[in-house]
Amino acid sequence: MALSELERSERRLGYLLLLPAVLLLATIVVYPVFDLVRTSFYQLNLTTGLLHPRFTGLANYARAFADHQLLESALATILLTVISVPSALVTGLALALLADQVKGARWFVRLALLMPWMLPLVFVGLVFHWFFDYRLGIVNDILVRMGLSALQWLSSPALAFIGISLAIIWKTSAFVAMILLAGLQSIPKYLYEAAEIDGAGTLTKFRYITLPMLRPSILVALIFRTITSIQTFDIPYAMTNGGPGNSTETLAMFVRKTSIDFLDFGYGSALATLMFIGSMLATSVYLKHVQRDAPEG
Amino acid sequence: MKKLLISTLLAGVASFGLTFAGAQAADITLHVFVGGNARPDLVTKLLSDFDAKNPGITSKIEVGGATSEQQSNYLNTVLSSQDDAIDVYLVDIVRTSENAAAGWSAPLNKYLGSDPKKFMSRYLAAYSNADVVDGKVIALPFFADAQFLYYRQDLLKKYGLTPPATWDEMIADGKKIEAGEKNPNLTTFSTAGAPIEGTVCTYLVPMWDAGSDLTVNGKLALDTAAAKKPFELFTQLKTEKAIPVNLAEIATDRIRTDFQAGNTVFAMLWVYAYNLFQTQQDSKVKGVVGVGTLPGFTAGKGYTCIGGWQVAVSSFSKHKAAAAKLAMFMASESSSKTLAVSGSLLPVFSTLYKDPDVVKANPWFAGALPVLLSSKARPVTPRYGEVSEALRTNMNAYLAGTKTADAALADMKAKLQPVFGQ
Repeated sequence: MALSELERSERRLGYLLLLPAVLLLATIVVYPVFDLVRTSFYQLNLTTGLLHPRFTGLANYARAFADHQLLESALATILLTVISVPSALVTGLALALLADQVKGARWFVRLALLMPWMLPLVFVGLVFHWFFDYRLGIVNDILVRMGLSALQWLSSPALAFIGISLAIIWKTSAFVAMILLAGLQSIPKYLYEAAEIDGAGTLTKFRYITLPMLRPSILVALIFRTITSIQTFDIPYAMTNGGPGNSTETLAMFVRKTSIDFLDFGYGSALATLMFIGSMLATSVYLKHVQRDAPEG
Repeated sequence: MKKLLISTLLAGVASFGLTFAGAQAADITLHVFVGGNARPDLVTKLLSDFDAKNPGITSKIEVGGATSEQQSNYLNTVLSSQDDAIDVYLVDIVRTSENAAAGWSAPLNKYLGSDPKKFMSRYLAAYSNADVVDGKVIALPFFADAQFLYYRQDLLKKYGLTPPATWDEMIADGKKIEAGEKNPNLTTFSTAGAPIEGTVCTYLVPMWDAGSDLTVNGKLALDTAAAKKPFELFTQLKTEKAIPVNLAEIATDRIRTDFQAGNTVFAMLWVYAYNLFQTQQDSKVKGVVGVGTLPGFTAGKGYTCIGGWQVAVSSFSKHKAAAAKLAMFMASESSSKTLAVSGSLLPVFSTLYKDPDVVKANPWFAGALPVLLSSKARPVTPRYGEVSEALRTNMNAYLAGTKTADAALADMKAKLQPVFGQ
C-alpha cells in the first residue's frame, strides 16, 4: 500500500528524531563493544614495547581456555552469583512485603529501603572490610562477647566468601525490594478481597495471588541482579583484593588485572568478550521465561 | 539593524575566544599526580615554591591512591589512553621499566644540560640506574625509600635488650618483652601479608638474606633452598606466635597504625612511618621509636627492599619543556632536603645524609645510607606487574594457610616462567 505524502514525511521525521539516540548509542555502546571484540583478536601488550597491535586470530581465546586462573575466577563469580542472587531476592521480597504493609509515610520507607542502593559499591566494600576486621571489627567483637573465638574473616577462603556475599546481599536487597514493592502495589486489591470471601488465608493468598502476579517483577529483578552479579568487582576488591591468594578474585577483577596491571590489552579484551558472552547467555535464559509469559500477561 | 546586531555578537564571541586562547598560551597549567603516600602536603609546598620562581606557570597537584598498586591502576588507565590530563607524575622505582617500554614517560636528556650522564651521576646509584633505560633518562629520582626495622626503644631498654641482629634474636626478645608486659594486644613482629606490593618484599628479603635471588644469571631460581627460606621463616614466626594471627590481612599502613597504637614491638616498614610516629596526635610511641637494619638469618647480613619514587614527564603532555623544568626542580637537592627535614623521606643525594639539618631531624639517617647502598632491587622487567602478582598472591596464600610452601613455589614458577623464560 502506497504511503501518502503526509505519512512519508511523518516517517522521515520519525527517523530524524531517532537519529540522536541511535548516534549516541552507536558512540558509547556499539563502538566500544565492537572495538573490544576487535582487540581480542590482536596481540596488544604494552610491556612488550610493541606499541602497534598484531593480528593473532584466536590465539588469545586459545590461551584463555587453557588458563586455570580464568576457570578459578569464573567459579568464584558463579559461586557469588549462586549465593547472592537468590538470597537478595528472598531478603528483598521480605523487605518489600514489610514495606507494603506500611500505610503512612511511604516516602520515608522507600527512602530508607533505597539507602543501601545509593551508597557507592566500593564504599560498602570498605565498610564491610571494617566490620570483618580481625582485631577491630564489630563481627569479631560480637563473637568474642558471646564467648566464641574471633575468626579470620578476610583471610580464609570460605569465610571471605561469606563476608563478601553478606555485603553484596545487604547492598542489593534494597534494589530488589524497590522493584518488588512497585510490583506489589500494582496488584489489584479486589483479587485479595475476592479470595478472602472464598475463605483464603494469608499463605494461600501469597501463594496463589501475590507470587504469580509478582512474576514479571521478580524476573526483572533477577535479570538485573544476575547481570550485575556476573560483573561483581568493587566489593571483593575493597574487602579482600582477591585474597587469600586468588581465591576471591572474580572475573571482572581478573579482566582488570590482565588489562590494567599487566597491560595485556589483547588478552584482557578476549577475557572481557568471554565474560560478555557469559552474561548474555545467562540473560537469555531469563528472557526465554519472559517471552513464555508474554502471551498470558 | 538585525545584521548589525549579529555582526556585533559575532565580533564579541570572536574577541572573547581570542582573549581566552591568548590567556592560555601565556599561562601554562601543569598537572602533577602524586600518591597519598608521597606527602602531598610537602609536594604542594614544593609546587608553590616552583610557581613563585616561574611566573606564567601554575602547577596543580592531583592526589591519587595511597598504595603503589592503586596509583599504577590510575596512571595505567590515563597513560594507556594517551591522555594529556597529567603532565608530571610520580612513579614507583619498580615500574620505571614498564613505563619506558610502554612509551609513557618522555625522555628528559635534552633538558638536562650538555652532559646528562654527569647530571644523573649526582644521585644514588640505585636510582640513577633505574631511571636510565637504554641511555634515555626516563625519570628523575624524587625520594629514596627502603624497609627498616622499627623497634620500641623504651621496651628494649626496660628489658635490657639491644636491637636484634638475627630473626632468632628478634623472636627471643619479643617473647621476653611480651611475658613481662602481659599486654594481650602486643605482638612481637609485623610486616605486610595482604595481597599487596609490600608482600613481594616479605618474600624477597628473607630469600636475599639466604643468599639467592629470584633470578640468577637471568634465569629463574626457584628450585633453590633459599627460595624456601621465606616460608620456613614465617612458619617459625607463626609457631612462635611472633606475628599477628591475621598477618595475611595486613597491608602496609596497618603495620604503621598498629605500631603507632603501641601494639607492636618490631615492624618491617618503609621510611614514611618515622615522621608520623613522632608527629601524629594519637601516636603512643612518640620519642620511643628506634630504627635500624632488618635482622638476618646470620648477624650483620640483613637485607632490605629498596623502593623510592621518581618524577616522570608524560609523553602526552602538551607542555613538556615546562614539565621537565618542574621535574628538575622536584628532583633538586634543595627539594630532597625539604622532604627529608619535614617529612623524614630519604634523600636521593648521598651528601644530604651528612647534612646537619637532615641529621638533626632524623638522627637515624646516618645509618640508613649504608643500608641503601648495599640493598637489592626488586626484579627489573617491563612485566613487573606479573612478577609482583605471582609473588604477592602466593606468599599471601601461604600466610593465610591455603597453600603449602611447595604449592606456592610451584604456582610462582608457573607464572614467572613465561616472564623470565626458562
